[in-house]
Amino acid sequence: MKERKGFLYCFVRNRNGMIGFIGVMAIVLIGFVGPMIIGKPSGYTTDILLPPCMEHPLGTDNIGLDILSELIWGARTSLYVSLLAMAISGAIGIPLGLICGYTRGILADIIDAAIDIFMTLPMLPLMIIMAAVMGTSIINVALILGIFSWPQLARVTKNSTLKIREMQYIEAASCLGLSQLRILFKHVLLNASGPVFVNMTLVMASAVLTEASLSFLGLGDPDSWSWGTILKRAWQQNAVISSPNPWWWWLMPSLCVVVYVVCFNLLGTALNDCLNPKGRE
Amino acid sequence: MSRYILRRLGRGVLTIFVSVTLVFFIVRAMPSDPVALMISPQMSQEQIDTLMHTYGLDQPLMTQYFLYMKELLMGNMGMSFAKRIPVGEYIMSRLPWTLMLLAAVMLIVCIIGIPIGLYAASRKGKLSDRIISIIVTMGISIFIPFMAFLLLYIFSFRLKILPTGGAYTPPTPEGFELVKQVACHIILPAIALSITNLANAVLYTRNSMIDVLHEDYIRTAYAKGNDRKRVIRRHAMKNALIPTVTVIGMQIGIMVGGATITETVFSWPGIGRLVYDSVNALDYPTLQGAFLIMAVAVVIMSFITDLVVAWLDPRIKLGD
Repeated sequence: MKERKGFLYCFVRNRNGMIGFIGVMAIVLIGFVGPMIIGKPSGYTTDILLPPCMEHPLGTDNIGLDILSELIWGARTSLYVSLLAMAISGAIGIPLGLICGYTRGILADIIDAAIDIFMTLPMLPLMIIMAAVMGTSIINVALILGIFSWPQLARVTKNSTLKIREMQYIEAASCLGLSQLRILFKHVLLNASGPVFVNMTLVMASAVLTEASLSFLGLGDPDSWSWGTILKRAWQQNAVISSPNPWWWWLMPSLCVVVYVVCFNLLGTALNDCLNPKGRE
Repeated sequence: MSRYILRRLGRGVLTIFVSVTLVFFIVRAMPSDPVALMISPQMSQEQIDTLMHTYGLDQPLMTQYFLYMKELLMGNMGMSFAKRIPVGEYIMSRLPWTLMLLAAVMLIVCIIGIPIGLYAASRKGKLSDRIISIIVTMGISIFIPFMAFLLLYIFSFRLKILPTGGAYTPPTPEGFELVKQVACHIILPAIALSITNLANAVLYTRNSMIDVLHEDYIRTAYAKGNDRKRVIRRHAMKNALIPTVTVIGMQIGIMVGGATITETVFSWPGIGRLVYDSVNALDYPTLQGAFLIMAVAVVIMSFITDLVVAWLDPRIKLGD
């Protein structure tokens, strides 16, 4: 219990971590509750390219969509995609990392080599091709992000498993005659979960960056609201360099992406600092 | 040493092989048919069959794969579907632009990133170090279109001093005028692309410099009566730069593949834009060729990085 108290104490005192935590909570709240309050954005009205005003707090775009409601619905998509991507990369990466770190033999070697090779492949171009192949639906985008972010997670899991494998309590558990599977999940995974958890928040951050990039290139889901899609439309209409400049149209979605990523990164870094005993001094 | 080189070579060839194979099968799983884009309604069935045959698309998948691999080993990457020119030639026309952008980015990273990292390390915990840390955190999470839009808005729209896109203003200028125009056009994409790399370089340099300054040999160097400047220049810097060199080396390898987003926003005619255009045009051979170049670049750069790190730190033995 002493360590748990230490962790909480450290986390609450970490200012950046708290900023990240509050930011993440706010995003989750907006993403889940927002769409229930504010209706789906509907366009094709005469309110085209209105600057921020009482009726449209963040203005409207070229087909009369309210930017604020687009952003709120976009937050839901971003959360959905990044959670799904994290779950998929966890489902692939964690078991592979555990096997690679805990067992010795040809299977571990193969997984190790696969991690190495996949870490060096150029990811974004591959994802662009995959997105073109699999068609643009939100589940496919999440699937692609998950499939391509597992090597990082597998490596982190492997490294902490390697350390834990040599611990005495694992030896003790083996001596007690527990099954290998039970040891692996109950003892090894539980103790390796710290760094793995940290890495998962980072996967969430990078998933949103990539999702926004893919939508920006026109490879996202055209039927769902995404920050990247708003930006793509703004860019196609030359919103950045046309005069008078509809700055609210291109600035707000980009700020949303940046805030989302910064909050998750801050949270991840703070968790890492608190879970890592060396950093707690 | 020779065993090390052999092992690296094996890994490298395997990486290239996996990458080429993966891309070969992924592009062939695309839902649309590239021939549908090439043919016109006026063509007879016979002409269509001839076209399919010319590009080898009438063969079974595995036969296509083995034929492709055989041709590749002889240095032939096939014909581009979209441009009807050899893929090698097509890629080579784009590669110099990407390399130029890459050189500009690396120049910015080395000239600005490393000194800032060293400065932040020397002021650890003070106000300036904290400000730098905050900026670096933002820089690592930057969304490239955001940066690009901001730069375009400020420098092209408000101040009107830099062009909005392309590599030069058509028609293609000659001689010195071309150099001048390219230099103007490269500034914005290079800045947009260098932010993430810059932030990484600052972070790694700072953290490793702080670690190195705690080492015993630094205390020894001070004890021998060296002044601060000399200790940092001669004893600390060489060791502190190792992680930075690794990161920069890896980044160079990855960036040969181009920066698709940056190159698309700024219409820069590099490899990243080539990939994007080829996906839209269902140009299989060009995509395969582009990925081959990327994989080769990553493998070569990681090998060079290892050699440089071993040269910087004689304690690292490559043979083990």
